[in-house]
Parts: sequence; C-alpha cells; structure tokens
Amino acid sequence: MIEVHRVSKVYSVGPVKVPALREVSFRVSKGEFVVLSGASGAGKTTLLRLLYRDDRPSEGDIEVLGHELVPMRRSQVATLRRSIGIVFQDAKLLPVRTVYENIAFVLRVLGAPRRELTARVFDALRVVGLSSRAQAYPAQLSQGEAQRAALARAIVRRPPLLLADEPTGNLDDAMAAEIVDVLKDIGAGGTTIVLATHQARLARALHRRTITLDGGRVVKDEG
Amino acid sequence: MLGFLVGEALRDLRRAGRVAISAIVLITLSLAALGGFWLVSSNLGRAVAQWRDRVRIVVYLKREPSAPEAVLGRVRAIPGVSGVTYIAKADALRALKQVLGKDASVVDHLPANPLPASLEVTPSATAATPEGARDLVGRLAALPEADEVAGSADWIERLSQWQRLLATIGLGVGAVLAVAAILTVTTATTLILHARRHETEIMRLVGAPESAIRLPLLLQGMMQGLAGAVLASIALMAGYSLVAPRLEPLVNLTLGIPDLEFFSPFGILTLLGAGTLLGGLGGWLARARREP
Ligand SMILES: Nc1ncnc2c1ncn2[C@@H]1O[C@H](COP(=O)(O)OP(=O)(O)OP(=O)(O)O)[C@@H](O)[C@H]1O
Ligand SMILES: [Mg+2]
Repeated sequence: MIEVHRVSKVYSVGPVKVPALREVSFRVSKGEFVVLSGASGAGKTTLLRLLYRDDRPSEGDIEVLGHELVPMRRSQVATLRRSIGIVFQDAKLLPVRTVYENIAFVLRVLGAPRRELTARVFDALRVVGLSSRAQAYPAQLSQGEAQRAALARAIVRRPPLLLADEPTGNLDDAMAAEIVDVLKDIGAGGTTIVLATHQARLARALHRRTITLDGGRVVKDEG
Repeated sequence: MLGFLVGEALRDLRRAGRVAISAIVLITLSLAALGGFWLVSSNLGRAVAQWRDRVRIVVYLKREPSAPEAVLGRVRAIPGVSGVTYIAKADALRALKQVLGKDASVVDHLPANPLPASLEVTPSATAATPEGARDLVGRLAALPEADEVAGSADWIERLSQWQRLLATIGLGVGAVLAVAAILTVTTATTLILHARRHETEIMRLVGAPESAIRLPLLLQGMMQGLAGAVLASIALMAGYSLVAPRLEPLVNLTLGIPDLEFFSPFGILTLLGAGTLLGGLGGWLARARREP
C-alpha cells in the first residue's frame, strides 16, 4: 500500500537548508491504521505531503498504491489523488456551499453521474454521523461537525487510502474522541489510514501502530 | 459534467459582480462600434457597387449624324467600350418631356429642339476605374463628331474612399475597445481566480482533471463575451430599426440605394462568435498569467 524507502527532505529557505525528514523508511500494508506521532516540527506534515505527491523527496523512493511517486508526471498525480482521501486540521469546507454541496462538489468535479449524488453523499454523511446537518452552511457548524463533514468529503469516493493531518487539532477532547471513533469505523471498513498527530495522549489512546518522528527521523515504530 | 462546469462558471460570474459587468459593457461597446461602422460601410459599399454598374459616359454630338450606325460601329471598336446607344435629338426631347411631367408643355413653346444628339457609352469593367474612365473620355473626345464628353468615375471613387475610410475607422475604434474589453475580462477572471482559490485547492486535492479546473474559467470568459455580443446585437438592431426608416428616403435620393441593409443571420452569428472569442481570450489570458 505504502512503501517509503530512505526518504529525506530538505527545504531550502534562501541560502538556509532546513532538513525536515532524514532517511525515513517504513511500509504500511493494506487495511492498516497507522498513527504518525511526534512533536511540532518533527516532519509529520512534510511526510504526508510527500505521500499525496504535493511535494517530492530530496532523496529516496516512495510508492503509494502501486504508483512510483518520484518520477510521476502531473497528469498522473491527479490519478493518484483520486484514490486518496485527505483531511486537514482545518476542514477546508467551501463557505458558500452547504455540507451536502461541499461533498457533492468533489463527486461532480470527478464526473459522477448526477442521479447517484444524493445516495452517495448521504452514505458518506451517515458514516460520519452528520446526515441531519446536510443543508447547513459551514459557518453554522461546530468545529467537530465541520471536521466530520470534511471526513465525509474525503471518503465519499471510497478511496482505499485516507491521510489525516491533525484532524483533531482544533477540537476539544470530547470532539476529538468522536472524530477518532469515526476514523476507526472507516478503518474497520477496510480503508488504510495514516493519521498524523502531535497529541501523544491521543496517539497512545488509539492502540494502533504508531510511527514516531523526532527531528525528521523515525525514532519508534511499534504497536 | 458540462452542466456542472457551466454552473460553476455562472457562480463565478456572480462573484466577479461589477467587474464582470464592466467587461460585458466594454464588449458590448466594442462590438457595437465594430458592427455600426460595418453596417454603414457595407451599405456605402452597395451604393458604390451599384454606381459602378451604372457609370455612363455621354458624348454630345456636333450635329445629328446622317448615318448613326456608322458612328456607333466606330465607337464600339474603341477599347473600354462595352456598349453604346444612340440618342437622337427627338429622343432626347421626349426624355426631357417625360422628366418634366405636367410641365412638359413648356417644351412645345420652344422654336426648335435645343437638345443635341448624343451617344450613351457604357464602359467595360476595366474602364470603370477613374484612370480607365479618363482614358476612355479622352478617346471619345477625339472622335470627329464629338462636341463634348461628360461623365467620369471620379466621384464614385471618392465614395468608395469614404467607405474604406469608415471601415478603417470602425476597425480601429473596434480594435481599441476590443483590447480594453479583453483586459477587463482578464481582470474579472483574475478576481474570479482569487475567489475560486478554495475550490481550486479542493479540486487539485481530489485529483480533478485539469480540464475541470480550467474550463469554468474559460467558460465564464466566453459567457461575458457572449452576453456582450447579444447586447451589442440588440443595440444595433434597435438603432437600425429606429434610424433606417428615417434615413432611407434621404439615402435613396443621394446614394440611389432603395433601402438600408441590416446584418444577415450569418453576420449576427459572426458578431456573437466574435464576442465569445473576445471573452474566452480574456479568460484564457488570466489563466495563462497565473500559471506560466
Ligand atoms: N514549506 C516549507 N519551507 C521550509 N521549511 C518548512 C516547510 N514546511 C515545513 N518546514 C520545516 O520542516 C520541518 C518539519 O515541518 P512539518 O510541518 O512537517 O512538521 P509537523 O510535524 O507537521 O509539525 P506540526 O505538528 O506543527 O504540524 C519544520 O522545521 C518546518 O519549519
Ligand atoms: Mg503538521
């Protein structure tokens, strides 16, 4: 599913070189739920961005869902992304569209037939427990609800891989626990999940394989 | 999919608001200017073509020839002559009476027929130009029977020069306005790009094809252009139906064309196509600037 082989990433900020990842290697199998933990600045976001080919590694190889990411061309990036659901700390919902429209948007962008929209959107909303808020605008949602809407949008196309970068970062513990439960449900459905978080407590409570980064290095990979 | 793209383009237009409206107004102005000058120039062109057909050179004769056929034969042999008719003194008088209508009786009081016999020469196409006509006039004047030769193609050429001048002014004004229109569409589209950045980000994240990301931009530009072209067509049509009935008698008298013509359906289609093209170009330029 995911193979990261001796990947390093160095950002150049003017003349300054900032090493963000150093010789990172790991594999994730199909259906696994992996937590990527580490303090702020450890390189979690950088690693996730490499996995959905938002950026290229400075060194090393990455294979995701059978695609070699380093030599990948732009048109192939779109193909890769269609198989990956992505959520961030901020929900990135489109403010002038309802929850329903936000989720339907990605289906329509990818050319899904109109008559399938309603059923597929509500399937996704049911998974995240947000069916009753379909007609609400993002501004009318709590942050937990907004994040669940973002999750519904990420999974509406049933991607085999879900990447989540601090999806609970803006939430209080109770709401974070809800999101984690939803993620577990999604994982139980067979989706491979990589969840990045700097909240060590949350990582421990998940009881899942945890890869810990520190200063861009993998310092622990267990569970 | 197309429905979705058009929907997104319409949503973008609403977001661009006033800038999109100014872009549409500018396209309307540029196309109305182009179209207006085009109409004037094409109607003048019709008059020119008609007058070119009707150029006649009249050779007044010193006296009525005893054997007109012989004179006609010699004139027909002159290069540049495509036809010639002989008008006897009596024919000329009859024509004059016809023109005078109810006042024709004054002619009867004349002691003698004062009108000369004449030859009406139709120049061939090559001789209908100013130089050709001048040469022909020279050759006709050299005839021993000729008293005076009247007629030239000069004023027709002047009319035709006016027509060309108008067409050039129209093209110039239209082109300047068209450039302004394209730039305004580009500005509107740049605003839209900004307003759309979240959509674009999501689209890229979920792996939307490039076409789905770019087409709405092109489409909204084309919609601005088409809207402007429709407005320009309506304005031209309104102007035409207002002005034409008032101007036609005058035009009939001075230029000799029976009516003023409007665009053919094909002309309208060309106008609409041109507007759509202008708008699309504006949309496309904004995109190109953003992603070099
Ligand atoms: N675009 C960039 N340009 C330059 N340096 C960057 C860039 N993105 C990240 N970095 C640097 O790379 C290192 C890793 O950053 P990264 O965002 O991956 O950390 P993180 O683990 O996601 O942190 P957080 O928990 O705060 O989100 C940091 O030192 C950061 O300053
Ligand atoms: Mg991060």
